[in-house]
Amino acid sequence: MFDITGKRFWFFLVSGVVILIGIISLATFGLALGIEFSSGSRLMISFDEREVSQDQLRQELANLGYPNAIIQSEILPTGQGDFFIRTRELTGEEKEELKDALAAEFGHITEKGFSGVSAEVARETTHTAAIAVAVAAVGILLYITWAFRRMPSPFRYGTCAIVALLHDVLVVLGVFSILGGVLNWEINLMFITGVLAVIGYSVNNTVVIFDRIRENLTKGVSPNFEVVVNNSLVETLSRSLNTSLTTLIVVLALLLFVGASIQNFAVVLLIGIIAGTYSSLFVAPQLLVVWERGEWGRFLQWLPVAKAKSR
Amino acid sequence: MTRRNMLTLIIILALFAFAICALIYPMFDRQQIRLGLDLVGGSHLVYQAQFPEGATGEDKTRAMDRALDTIRTRIDKYGVTEPIIQKQEGERILVQLPGFTDIEAAKRLVEQTGFLEFREVELNNGNPVYLGDYLENQNSEFFNKGEDSARIFVGEKRDDGKHYPIAFLSKDEEGNFKYIDEEGSPIDIEELRQIEEQIKAQLELGSAALLSWIPARGGDGTQLTGGFLKEARPSITTGITAEPEVAIEWNEEGGIIFDDIAERLYSRPSESQERCIGIFLDNILISHPQIIEPAYHGSGVITGNFTIEEVEHLANLLESGALPMPLQKPPLYEEMVSATLGAGFIDMSIKAGVIGIILIMLFMVIYYRLLGLLASLALIFYGTLVLALFKLIPVTLTLAGIGGFVLSIGMAVDANVLIFERMKEELRAGRTLGAAIETGFNRAWTAIRDSNITTFIVCGILYWVGSSIVAGEPVMGFALTLFIGVAVSMFTAIIVTRTLLRLFVGTRLAQRTSLFSVYSGRR
Repeated sequence: MFDITGKRFWFFLVSGVVILIGIISLATFGLALGIEFSSGSRLMISFDEREVSQDQLRQELANLGYPNAIIQSEILPTGQGDFFIRTRELTGEEKEELKDALAAEFGHITEKGFSGVSAEVARETTHTAAIAVAVAAVGILLYITWAFRRMPSPFRYGTCAIVALLHDVLVVLGVFSILGGVLNWEINLMFITGVLAVIGYSVNNTVVIFDRIRENLTKGVSPNFEVVVNNSLVETLSRSLNTSLTTLIVVLALLLFVGASIQNFAVVLLIGIIAGTYSSLFVAPQLLVVWERGEWGRFLQWLPVAKAKSR
Repeated sequence: MTRRNMLTLIIILALFAFAICALIYPMFDRQQIRLGLDLVGGSHLVYQAQFPEGATGEDKTRAMDRALDTIRTRIDKYGVTEPIIQKQEGERILVQLPGFTDIEAAKRLVEQTGFLEFREVELNNGNPVYLGDYLENQNSEFFNKGEDSARIFVGEKRDDGKHYPIAFLSKDEEGNFKYIDEEGSPIDIEELRQIEEQIKAQLELGSAALLSWIPARGGDGTQLTGGFLKEARPSITTGITAEPEVAIEWNEEGGIIFDDIAERLYSRPSESQERCIGIFLDNILISHPQIIEPAYHGSGVITGNFTIEEVEHLANLLESGALPMPLQKPPLYEEMVSATLGAGFIDMSIKAGVIGIILIMLFMVIYYRLLGLLASLALIFYGTLVLALFKLIPVTLTLAGIGGFVLSIGMAVDANVLIFERMKEELRAGRTLGAAIETGFNRAWTAIRDSNITTFIVCGILYWVGSSIVAGEPVMGFALTLFIGVAVSMFTAIIVTRTLLRLFVGTRLAQRTSLFSVYSGRR
């Protein structure tokens, strides 16, 4: 039988490093907000006559008086050479002028999509999204309290599930901050939707595992809590992995075949499902063990950094 | 095989047959699954209506309803199929035009207030009054003391043959002159003087620029507006050059007012600006023909420097009437998706869905053998049933909605995985297949129920978000399809798979544990 719980400190270390990188990125790049939240225009075009690089386009936009335009090109092999150009809110005439000027420079262009969001709507959307995240947090908390009502120490289980949930959100935010800084990916409404879906997904994975721990505790599998947790993890392992795998399959299919317009969303789900599976196996139950054994201090001593210092 | 199980199987098969029929044939007046704008392409606009201060709630409701009718009439003439024109909270108007991808044309169509009015030149002792006269005039009396409403001053003719307004002159509450621009903000007098001098320096002979235009009124003091029109249609001038124009027909009252005005203007010196009637559409002077007859008997033409499209647009605009209130420009939200992009999305998401389902089936069959095969059958049933529900409810499918559906396929097998893992444990513990099925399903049920609750909570919240923000259709679509998907998956995983499995109980196949991969998943 696998010894999963025995390696718990390694799991914490991996999570810690990933989250730390994410936090550093969040502190440096922050999160790039899409037009839904910060207002502006987003134009999707393709160049039909010749290939245009992102730099050429950026240069031309700067010449046309849009030095702050943010350009995102479709990174996936579907639909060749589509560009998203994000600018301040454009009027109809400004947009036509911009298109004409780009066509004059790069040849015929096709306008594949356009959206414009006013400051008023952006404000409302941000407000509603914030409320939604708050309500979701409260809803999930209530659910956790309810789901763990029969557990030996409900507060402890609840807290560990919430830590796992925060872990997933931090990983997703961190990765998106890096994508935002490097590839100009923006946080849009579908991103928030994806994050909420991931939260739901991750919590229910954790609940299934905790449920098994509770069952094994009542059965009295072993007096050693660590062994009970380990057994429960191993017993549910194939379920956890299979479920994540089937979901990952469809998310990958979405990402690879549908592409740009749903790209942010699919990537949130992809990262969130991986992080959620990891945290429900290697963070939440392991935290329970650490808590049960009161070994918070041991983890700090175990850390390689601490070892190096003590030498 | 029990009799009850047989009955369940028959019901399931009947449901499956019904779902397939529902998808193939038109049912309940529905031909196809309804597709969102992002999939068929089109324009999506959200406008804020602007009411004057002090408008009562009742006035606003009535005006909003009339505005919706007006916009609908305008759009209907363009042959857009199934346009959506709706009132939204906070005095907003939503316009969705599937298949109409010229968003600028769509905006013009909706935004244009369509307020048509007729004006004449203000006179001071028989001479036309100019903006300069007012600017030099220090007192605050109108030259024509009988006319109290705002004067419009327009600039020189632009390339499109129209004169655009440069200033509006009216009196404030204390009776002092104030000059405002189109948005209603005050104009600095010095700036206006400079503009006036610039235009004056290049003023063409007989130009309508800088003249003071006042409302043209009938004998009873009623101003002639588009409200008195009975009919407006595109037409062509009968002359040496065929120019597009709009032929209009007044209603009875309008005909009388127009003839009153015509008679009065006809008495002024011929070929003079004072004899022109100014046709203003949304404060823009589109033309100012001379009155050449003392009476027109209820019909006339609007001429101008028009193209054929413009006359069609103008006639449509005049026929559908004026909006009861202006709409804020630019719109609060605008979105355009080209039709090719939308069509691409459909192909791509079908591909993604089919490939996803096939991969999941492969995985399930390889990992769970016979159980996986049954789960795959249940998955096919699941997919068909969900799509049939989308069509019958009906759910408008958007790209995000398809995302929710595809995601739910991945999550749908979760219930089966939970059950199968339980069953395998029971089989390993030495139970018979029949007993393992029943305990497996019963024990897994609480886990399935609990684990789907979070998804339902999230779907509920997302649906609320989607419905309470502008352009929240994607979020709403995702929440709805994911909810339906997960709910149906609970049904198919439990009822369908169990019924199929029970068919094997008591047969020889049930003895062959290798078919159920009891030990392959064990670590």
